[in-house]
Amino acid sequence: MSEFFSTYGSLIVSMVLGALLGLSLYLPLMTGQLSLASPGFYALGGYIAAILSTKVFNQSSHEFSIFYLLLEMGIAGIVCGLLGIAVGIPTLRLRGIYLAIATIAFGEVLRVVSLNLEITGGAVGIFGIPQPFPNQISYLWVALPLLIVSMLILYRLERIRVGRAFIAIREDELVAGAMGINPTYYKILAFTLGAILAGVVGAISAHFLNTWNARQGTFDASIIYLTFVLIGGSRTFVGPVLGGIVFTALPEILRNLAQTNGLPDWLAHFLQDGRLIIFGLLIVTGTIFFPQGIVTPNIFNIFNIFTRKSKKI
Amino acid sequence: MSQNISQISETNSGTNKNIILEVRELTRRFGGLVAVNHVSFGVHEDEIFGLIGPNGAGKTTLFNLITSLIPISSGELFYQGVRISQLCCHQIAGLGIARTFQNIRLFGELSALENIIIARHVHTKSNLITGILELPTAVKEEKRSRQKALELLELVGLSDRATENARNLAYGDQRRLEIARALALEPKILLLDEPAAGMNPSEKHQLSQFIRDLRSLFNLTIILIEHHVPLVMGLCDRIAVLDFGELIALGEPSVVRNDPAVIEAYLGNE
Repeated sequence: MSEFFSTYGSLIVSMVLGALLGLSLYLPLMTGQLSLASPGFYALGGYIAAILSTKVFNQSSHEFSIFYLLLEMGIAGIVCGLLGIAVGIPTLRLRGIYLAIATIAFGEVLRVVSLNLEITGGAVGIFGIPQPFPNQISYLWVALPLLIVSMLILYRLERIRVGRAFIAIREDELVAGAMGINPTYYKILAFTLGAILAGVVGAISAHFLNTWNARQGTFDASIIYLTFVLIGGSRTFVGPVLGGIVFTALPEILRNLAQTNGLPDWLAHFLQDGRLIIFGLLIVTGTIFFPQGIVTPNIFNIFNIFTRKSKKI
Repeated sequence: MSQNISQISETNSGTNKNIILEVRELTRRFGGLVAVNHVSFGVHEDEIFGLIGPNGAGKTTLFNLITSLIPISSGELFYQGVRISQLCCHQIAGLGIARTFQNIRLFGELSALENIIIARHVHTKSNLITGILELPTAVKEEKRSRQKALELLELVGLSDRATENARNLAYGDQRRLEIARALALEPKILLLDEPAAGMNPSEKHQLSQFIRDLRSLFNLTIILIEHHVPLVMGLCDRIAVLDFGELIALGEPSVVRNDPAVIEAYLGNE
């Protein structure tokens, strides 16, 4: 068992972090806003944690306290939330593909700034970020509760007044306005919640990866997170969580498959080196055959007795 | 603003009816086209007010201006004596002006019940924190919204379709669900955009009875756009006729029916 964890610990934590990043993209999408800003906030959160832990909290030689990690997550969340409001107010006036472009630009701005600032370590980045845990799998102590709490919050959110306002705006923004819902307010709220979550995850990732640089949270990353949501399912939070878990693990699974005995050489090579091609094919076919993603809100009708009861009314 | 209020109360002092909605010199231009051209009228409280006119006369545009879905080019709107022409559409909905749409615009992916609960937004207060933590106030509020929505579904005869997705409902049911959704706002003024479109004569007859019932049940002022002239004549207390964006006649059905300008607009000049 311990061997399993030492081999796959890093992957398991990555999967949980992937699920969280999927959720951070799903939040603005609840209001129908295709925002690709999450990687930007993720990068920012990581830099905040990296700078704080290497420059501010790192006075003593003994092990880095987990309390500091939680504090960094809080600070990253607050900073990203405030920046989310500031970025959201102008950009959320844009719709559809224009919002996507503006949020990509936001990520690029952050990337170029971090490449050129001294405090972010320039192109080299920040390395030797102190570890609060003895091994990689232990990061689950922080990441898993965060995922569970986020899922509980989203489960509730989809069933309360605020969440319904989000969904109404996604379905028809004009009509939502005519029903007394302030679309601007709720769009900014959803965008900001996504920014906070991405920032907090970034703070964990910085410690988890031990190093942080401008290659984190680039345009590539935003497309991968988008895959989590679009293929996993964009109509319920279960979709991005499963999408994040599966698509983070997929490259590793393919790599293992390639090592199976008896495979023809070309296939083994394809599985090992062509995994990005497979990834891309899945994205294309997935969006054609599952436009709402693989997991749809019907999943709750299967499990939820209350829904069945209410059908009898 | 207080000056405006006093102005209105002065103009009202002559009649015993209160003007709940006043449209003053309202204009909307789309480029060179003037869709609504200096239109002025007042709608009395508890009145069923008809808005008729040939296709393209600007009736729906006028509705969109009143509910602020599109900005006004010039002119003003007063609701209960207060100027509302600068407000956003969600603020206007919050004040008590609700509407339906000509091309039905329900939240198709959501159930009939959810469609109505969403429209309870302005009458509920729970926020992110109280809602997620299931605090008692939010839970109670949620129950009340649901209860209210079920009552409204019953009123429009859709109780047994509560969990059905709105887009799977029959056309007539969708029209009624839209009315129920608008009523969930507890409006003082209800704007109905062609509520009888696509209905057969007996359904139209039922609908006009239903609209009368709504008025007395909720003390509503109803403004409706309708093409079917007999229905409008039988149902409305007063009628405004639009043609090419201009108000060409205003008054009781019997007066408007015989107005030469209205006859010309509908039948052409011989």
